[in-house]
Amino acid sequence: MSGVTLRNVKKNFGSVEVIRDVDITIEEGEFCVFVGPSGCGKSTLLRMIAGLEETTSGTIEIGGRIVNDLNPSQRGTAMVFQTYALYPHMTVERNMGFGLLMNGVSKSLVKEKVAKAARILQIEKLLDRKPKQLSGGQRQRVAIGRAIVRDPEVFLFDEPLSNLDAELRVATRLEIAKLHSQLRGATMVYVTHDQVEAMTLADKIVVLRDGRVEQVGAPMDLYNNPANVFVAGFIGSPKMNFVDVNHGQLPDGRVLRLDGPNAASVATIGFRSDSLKPADQGNGMISAKVSVVERLGDAEYVHFQTPWEQELVARFPPEAEVGLDATFEFELSGKIHFFDANGRALANVMLASGAVAKPV
Amino acid sequence: MSDTAVASSRSQKVFLTPRRKRQITSIILAGICAVWVYPLIWMIAASFKPNSELFSNQSMIPIDPTLENYIRAWTEANLQRYFFNTLFVTVGSVVITTLAAALAGYVLGRRAFPGKWVLMGLMVFTLFIPQGYTIIPIFQLLTNLGIGQSLWGLMLATCGHNIVIFMLLFAGYFTQIPKELEEASRMDGVGPVKTFWYVMLPLAKPIVVTVVVMQALMAWNDFLLPLVITLANPAMRTLSVGIYSFKGEHFVDWGGMTASSTIAIVPIVLLFLFLQRYFIDGLAGAVKG
Ligand SMILES: Nc1ncnc2c1ncn2[C@@H]1O[C@H](COP(=O)(O)OP(=O)(O)OP(=O)(O)O)[C@@H](O)[C@H]1O
Ligand SMILES: [Mg+2]
Repeated sequence: MSGVTLRNVKKNFGSVEVIRDVDITIEEGEFCVFVGPSGCGKSTLLRMIAGLEETTSGTIEIGGRIVNDLNPSQRGTAMVFQTYALYPHMTVERNMGFGLLMNGVSKSLVKEKVAKAARILQIEKLLDRKPKQLSGGQRQRVAIGRAIVRDPEVFLFDEPLSNLDAELRVATRLEIAKLHSQLRGATMVYVTHDQVEAMTLADKIVVLRDGRVEQVGAPMDLYNNPANVFVAGFIGSPKMNFVDVNHGQLPDGRVLRLDGPNAASVATIGFRSDSLKPADQGNGMISAKVSVVERLGDAEYVHFQTPWEQELVARFPPEAEVGLDATFEFELSGKIHFFDANGRALANVMLASGAVAKPV
Repeated sequence: MSDTAVASSRSQKVFLTPRRKRQITSIILAGICAVWVYPLIWMIAASFKPNSELFSNQSMIPIDPTLENYIRAWTEANLQRYFFNTLFVTVGSVVITTLAAALAGYVLGRRAFPGKWVLMGLMVFTLFIPQGYTIIPIFQLLTNLGIGQSLWGLMLATCGHNIVIFMLLFAGYFTQIPKELEEASRMDGVGPVKTFWYVMLPLAKPIVVTVVVMQALMAWNDFLLPLVITLANPAMRTLSVGIYSFKGEHFVDWGGMTASSTIAIVPIVLLFLFLQRYFIDGLAGAVKG
């Protein structure tokens, strides 16, 4: 088993740059998730690792070998496609064993390997069926089974759950996590645009935007210390609240007093929904009028409007009975993120005590 | 109970109930069908009548049924020979045409290469040239290749008739197959030839059947091309040309002709009955796609 290293990797489709200078190191046995908005180049990057797309420049290394010029089948990777890509006219068993059979592996050995993979995925009873006779989740397992049978060094998944319904998606997500620990040492690269999937599955998340790496790190790393506004907004649900700071002033003109060497560069402050705490009348920092309440059972997300008409969201405990159009005052407690005019995170800044005058 | 009562009382008033409409339609269709198959039935019936009875006996059913026509056709008129000539030309051209059209259609449908659209355009253009104009050049070409006087030559020339349309059928079908299937087999280390043979061609089964049936029909019944190519070489005649020879200058052997025509159509009817279901699927699929 082995890791994957991308160095200065670029990809052009004609004159369009789709991947621009990407460096990523994926350790052996790691579960690495590429996440980013639609069209950012996740699939392209994965397909480049698989060898289904050529690499315009840069090197791709798998297990210490540079694989740029190797065929997909020689790279030690196996891919699970979003659409499953099962051969419709073959039984499940043949689907899983097809590659090995075509490459001259003996029938008995193939049968054994298929049976073993089927046992891991609990699809032994389905081996004689055709893909048409399977549910979406079962097809997904067969597709994963086809990858397992090849005994790859690196598993590549391209949005494998996006065709499943919500409930099945959660269940299959857990199974993939289980599979990763079961296939000890298998490196997995997983593409998704769903940050929850990324957070729950990954050892390492790579956030991509417009063909560039925005940040690489462990899930909680990205959650707690986003490198920029984009990552801060992308990771975590609900989205982080951002408030513009213009020459030290909040949008309503009140002065926001900050301490620290970088205080003067702050252009945006960010805070998650749980950093907003209701304050006593007259002592808060932001006054709010409730517009929507989402009750999730374990929490209530209260969306509210600030006096400068921005929508922000605060997390309340489940039993809080917040009514529509109620008014609140909030103070900021907990982690506050500061960003400069280019969206980059700033360290060494904090709110000064009594940072803002009472709310307007 | 009351429902049926209402329905029947209504049907007494309305003459054209849906059920009656269906019956009338069926009768009309059956009538048309009868007109359609009458010549065929007449021919088959006549083939069992001795020549003397052929025009005197107005009834369909032979008074004195005989296999004499068949024996005469099969042995004396050399139909045996023509039958196997036709079989050779048909089977050979079906195999070659289907494979060639599928391979070409696969590349046209799924690969991008420079000049693809020019090539497609040229091939489609050939559809507009009437067959009659190309027969002499084809004959010339075969002669230059040294196969102008052989069944192989006839068979190869027969492949050319509809191959462009078949290729386009395949190309259209292969275009719809998701590219992930090929990518999956590439990841599996299966080469392009095996991918074509084990993945793509089986998926194109409806088109394969359509092409097999249409090419078989065409090759089996073809007249003009085998007539021209076998003019100097009667031993190479196919059934359709051979049957024509029952019509001598002064005398037409109607009995022999009906018997040999029956021999000629039976295999093709059997093939169609055998592949009918797939054939209709294929045509429907081709229209959809
Ligand atoms: N074959 C191609 N030719 C030209 N441009 C392409 C091709 N494939 C992808 N692109 C472009 O490359 C960019 C990245 O595509 P890619 O499929 O990698 O995005 P993605 O991150 O996987 O998005 P999604 O989440 O929607 O799947 C897109 O702008 C897309 O239009
Ligand atoms: Mg994608």
